[in-house]
Amino acid sequence: MEFWLNNPIITLKDITKIYEINKNNIVTALKDINLTIQKGEFVILKGVSGSGKSTILSLIAGLSKPTTGEVIVDNQRVSKLPDNFASDYRQSTIGFIFQKYNLIPNLSVEDNILLPLVPTNPNEEDAKNKLNSVLKHFDILDKQHTVVKNLSGGEQQRVAIARALINNPKIIIADEPTANLDEKLSIDFINIIKTLKKENKTIIVATHDPLFYNLDAVDRIIEIKSGKII
Amino acid sequence: MILSPEVLTIEIIDSIFLGLGTIAFILALKISLKWDINSTTQTQYKLEKQSFLTATIIKYIFAIKIPLFIFFIFTLDKISNLLTGAMCATGVIDATSYGIYLLILKLLNLYLFGFWLTLHYLDIKSPTLPYTKIKFEFFTIIYWFLVAEIVLEIMMFINIDIDKMVSCCGTLFSTSATSSIGDILRIKTSILLTLFYGTYILLILFYRLRIKYIFAIANIIFIIVSLISLISFFGTYIYELPTHHCPFCFLQKDYYYIGYLIYIFLFVGTFYGIRSGVLEKLKENSTKSYYISMLFDTLYLALVSAYPIFYYLKNGVWL
Repeated sequence: MEFWLNNPIITLKDITKIYEINKNNIVTALKDINLTIQKGEFVILKGVSGSGKSTILSLIAGLSKPTTGEVIVDNQRVSKLPDNFASDYRQSTIGFIFQKYNLIPNLSVEDNILLPLVPTNPNEEDAKNKLNSVLKHFDILDKQHTVVKNLSGGEQQRVAIARALINNPKIIIADEPTANLDEKLSIDFINIIKTLKKENKTIIVATHDPLFYNLDAVDRIIEIKSGKII
Repeated sequence: MILSPEVLTIEIIDSIFLGLGTIAFILALKISLKWDINSTTQTQYKLEKQSFLTATIIKYIFAIKIPLFIFFIFTLDKISNLLTGAMCATGVIDATSYGIYLLILKLLNLYLFGFWLTLHYLDIKSPTLPYTKIKFEFFTIIYWFLVAEIVLEIMMFINIDIDKMVSCCGTLFSTSATSSIGDILRIKTSILLTLFYGTYILLILFYRLRIKYIFAIANIIFIIVSLISLISFFGTYIYELPTHHCPFCFLQKDYYYIGYLIYIFLFVGTFYGIRSGVLEKLKENSTKSYYISMLFDTLYLALVSAYPIFYYLKNGVWL
């Protein structure tokens, strides 16, 4: 485990996040969060719904900005990045797996997976190689041309993972990835994550699924309660 | 006051500009005073969001201002039919004492907004937003020019008296005119053309030698010399009338709206020329600006020069 010690890839400094829905409805989602995640680390963010897990993930992914404090990922001040640069950062550094997969239901598996490559304008050969590689890796090669809405939940999950990984990101973020899966499919997902861990990817999973809590591959479990790390 | 649909349209857009511009001014002032890109406080994050809103408002104003300027000239031409004595936009501009200042201010504001946009694009090109403070400080100055323009515009349209006879362009732009225009028209053609083509040769020289500051200054001189020579000399060949010097009549249908193309070439060319000086000052790459400026300045020169050349080839005499 020592190989990644003192090699931080993610740093959250004095983070506070307040959602101001209106003047009378202000929600403090995170308060004074300080967190460092090392390169290659597999971290679980544990906590009940509304504890602030997803907010932490969205800050790391540059999907939102903190109210105060700073997020540094891979030596980039993510919280200070203007929107256009934040998109580039996400595209190159982050693979995000969403709870509800966020796939485009009327597109084929192939088109969904290739979507993150579109802004990089890759050559056809390169895109094809990358596509074949992830399709084989996640055992969905035979589903390549199937429209996503016709897939099962587990297959959709694998497509979502393949899409998150097609750009070979350094960091993989998953938000409640097994919430819509049965136990068998959840174990399948965990096995995929274990493989990624072996590839030295930094993995952060926000979950309240107990299946994750006793995994050997997990380096750290961070518990969040009412917007604070406990 | 003339309340034609065109004038009403301009006034409504003016009031929108004033409202949005004032919001942008207040936010720009706040950003200019409190901006610190390294800070991670709530105030700074809020300012970062507001800076995008403010920039969007300013971009919107600029995006509308360009076609609105063309529409303004078109409106002046159109309402000239309502004023006794007016033959084109000149009569409307001369109908009140505000007209000429308004026209100059409108042109100046287009250049200023263009420079603001230059700063803005340089700013958002870098993740550290290096020009945010300076671009909003600059806007707090431009805002007052915008307000002055809107006030002058309202004053001009309010003070136009349709019962009062105005001068036509033939009277205003004649050698016998007692104003400074008369003095300009009395400048010898040989001197004027030497100045015009001489300035252009200097532009080429500074372009080749990459002396960007002087190239920018030469472009400012080129606008002035070009406008004078257009009124005094080239315009007469567009009209094929030695006594007609109006800088507006060739914007009309009778002359195939050629004036719009002439002015677009001149203003785009000189804008990019001055812009290359600004970019040089900011130590940014100005090669593209340089190239566009030279291209449009050349197109302008070729277009206006074509009229006397073709006239001579057709008729065998100069006017």
